Amino acid sequence: MDILIVDDSRTMRIILQRAIRQAGYRGLTVEEAENGVQALERLHGKQPKLILSDWNMPEMSGLDLLREVRAVQNDVPFGFVTSEVSAEMKELAMRSGANFMLSKPFTPDDIQDALAPILN
Amino acid sequence: MQMEVSGDAVAQIVQSIFTTMLDLEVSPADVPWLAGGDRLTSSVYFEGDWNGAVSLECSRRQACYFAGKFLSMDPPEEVDDDVRDVLGELANIIGGNIKSVIAKDVRLSMPSVIDGSNYELRICGSERADKSAFHSAEGPFWVTIAGKDRAAGKSVP
Repeated sequence: MDILIVDDSRTMRIILQRAIRQAGYRGLTVEEAENGVQALERLHGKQPKLILSDWNMPEMSGLDLLREVRAVQNDVPFGFVTSEVSAEMKELAMRSGANFMLSKPFTPDDIQDALAPILN
Repeated sequence: MQMEVSGDAVAQIVQSIFTTMLDLEVSPADVPWLAGGDRLTSSVYFEGDWNGAVSLECSRRQACYFAGKFLSMDPPEEVDDDVRDVLGELANIIGGNIKSVIAKDVRLSMPSVIDGSNYELRICGSERADKSAFHSAEGPFWVTIAGKDRAAGKSVP
């Protein structure tokens, strides 16, 4: 698995996969999870190159997922893709170990700018 | 703390979202709200310093059209889970962007979608609802912001 996409919206997971391809990253293995709990199950024994996660999800939020991941010393690059981005949320995300925070709506160029430092 | 959301701000947010995510030009329209009929309403709710909701309402045909544009495919012929998911996600994105201009300490709910006919959505405690009409290639749709400032007991805007 190269990228794990975590979002409770199935159509948003489709859009993210498409945006990643449009940004020029083809041939990557992408897996999906509907929430933080499912994401932790997918991560069991695997180390993706990147986790892209929504912030607001049922069962376990993106922020709680990030904290769980970092709590086991996993330094996998982690980016949020979320509809709500405030300075306070961004600060909290970065302090918790996120690499970037991307707001919806986004373009393929936005995805490319966010992913390039990590995947190139 | 900024609590007001102007009509221009709502229009700018909605137009930006539809252009970027759906590659669809929409424009503010002077279209009266017509209650009744088959339609879908997706909403996200705010709780905190400001309590209320943002709703997106459109016809079933319009919802299928939005889903087709969102997913870059032919519009589904009937409202299905993907159409409801897209409409919920659009409300979520609109709500998230609205949240960034209304208040700092506000939590956003998961989106919900109502699919039916001849219903009326009322947000408990809201003293005012500002409904903005927009026009797309498939006709009009509406974005409503309803709410009340908890601390001041003041409605929006």
